[in-house]
Amino acid sequence: MTLELSKLSGQVQAMGQEMAVRDREYAEQVVRAQGWLTEYAEQAQQLGEIIRESSYSAAIPTGEPVDSQTALPPVPERFTFIAADGTEIQPDSHDIAFYYLINVGALVYRHGSGQTPEAYSLPTIGYSESDIYEEGVPVTGNLLDIKRDIAEITCLADLCASEPRDATTVAVVDGTLILWTLQNTPPAYQAQKTQAYLQQFDRMREAGAAVAACISRPRRSEVAKLLYLAHLGGDIDQAKNPRDPEGERMKRVPDYAIFETLPPGARSALFISPSKTNETYYRTRGHTVHFFYLNLAEEEKRPAIVRIEVPAWIADSADDLRLVHGSLVAQARIAGDYPYALIRADELAFISTKERDAFENMITSSLVRAGVPAALSPKKYYKTLTRRGKRKFR
Amino acid sequence: MSERLQVGRVLRASIRGFVVGCELKQPDIPPFGSFVRAQGITPGSDIYGLVYNVSLEDDLFARHFVGRDIEEGVIQDERLNRQVPVEVSILSVGCGEEGTVRHCLPPHPPVTLDWLYRCTDEEIKAFTVRFDYFRLVLAAHDAPVDGLLAASIRTAAAAQPEAEREMFLVDAGRELARLLAGDPLRLEGLLRQLQSI
Repeated sequence: MTLELSKLSGQVQAMGQEMAVRDREYAEQVVRAQGWLTEYAEQAQQLGEIIRESSYSAAIPTGEPVDSQTALPPVPERFTFIAADGTEIQPDSHDIAFYYLINVGALVYRHGSGQTPEAYSLPTIGYSESDIYEEGVPVTGNLLDIKRDIAEITCLADLCASEPRDATTVAVVDGTLILWTLQNTPPAYQAQKTQAYLQQFDRMREAGAAVAACISRPRRSEVAKLLYLAHLGGDIDQAKNPRDPEGERMKRVPDYAIFETLPPGARSALFISPSKTNETYYRTRGHTVHFFYLNLAEEEKRPAIVRIEVPAWIADSADDLRLVHGSLVAQARIAGDYPYALIRADELAFISTKERDAFENMITSSLVRAGVPAALSPKKYYKTLTRRGKRKFR
Repeated sequence: MSERLQVGRVLRASIRGFVVGCELKQPDIPPFGSFVRAQGITPGSDIYGLVYNVSLEDDLFARHFVGRDIEEGVIQDERLNRQVPVEVSILSVGCGEEGTVRHCLPPHPPVTLDWLYRCTDEEIKAFTVRFDYFRLVLAAHDAPVDGLLAASIRTAAAAQPEAEREMFLVDAGRELARLLAGDPLRLEGLLRQLQSI
């Protein structure tokens, strides 16, 4: 083995001890934040405008009291739950060709029908100049993530389009509805990509589908920041730059931990995402992203908190919101505490090492047949020799 | 050769036998002891075999549902979408070319992703005119030999015209008695399996 575990044992032990101390402190912070949710509920409710006018990224309250809990609503006897997820192979200049692959997996699950769910796996290769370069920049990293996000949402919109408009279709994407990765890109690029993304929202809205995104164990602390601001009596400057380290720590308490007090199947209040992208692009097209936290755990089981994001037209419709809430819990109860269709969409999108090898062999054969000299870079070639079937290192 | 039901495609192969992948939704997964045929490498050549195993693999996700109240949709999803491929294992027992059939190991294995066909009654009758393939089955290592032999004889008997079925079984029994003369207990067990027809 190259990784000498014996050299790590001391560090791992120290890490475990520090984590234990941090965990105790963290538990105290969580209990404090949970207390604030009730204690400062009224104050927090009034802080929407202050947050909107600042660059403080706290959750923006809606008409629902911030400490409210909504119990699991009934769901229709029959409804269709569509989930999509995506994976990618990033372009690699050391590879035999410069290309990328996006694979979108989707599952259509018809509750109450007894029908076999429909499974989809939709791979696309990007290899042309216009695919792999945008504005002269190679489509790698975040830029490819955006392409994958658009491919996922387009797949969902396509599947929704073939469903009847009877208000019983729920379309859920794994992850977030907000294209966070766009934040550091030029404004014109942001506008173009969000337009392409939100066009699919329009299509799903037209198809009568209830759209949502599901994020498992999200690290966001937007509600924590809202409660901290309320604790400071709305002093936004102090909230941005806390005078003591404890304030900084309280701002970092993850929202999901605050909502671990939700009973099984219940959801939190609705909030509006403070993301700039949300304000600049989503709001102007009527798709302002709202979110709530939801406990997907079964009765008497440990909380399984997820963050659910929905566009404004779902948040504003009590019926759609109930459908999203109830259907997510119904889906989660199939496997235990996470939506079945999302588990399967991930499985359908996943590219295993074996599949990747087979795909790369296909590309090599295709290039050779087309008379293109196909070779890995020397660096990658030697990596394939040393990393596969490694037996000893010295 | 009237009907040729495609069973699945060859996944891995050797001269002694091969494995075929198919989907559970296929209604024609051949049962244990069925006669099947795959194309040989040489054009017009065939490889004959007996199905000795049909296996379904589990995984952690399928295991997760054991003990849960499972919805019909999940069962269908598992069986028809996730459980791919179902693997059918075949023991090579003969080969043929242009209408001739020989009970021996084939000169080459079938090729990956070649189709596997279920033999028609006519093909089974032509193949079981002689019982030399019994020796190949008895010499097999991985297959449940006695059960496979009994199942193949039952399958072959069912392919004969009704009037000839009893005589076919008697002939097959005689051949078994000759091959297993030194092992009367095993012979008795095999004949008992045939009596249940």
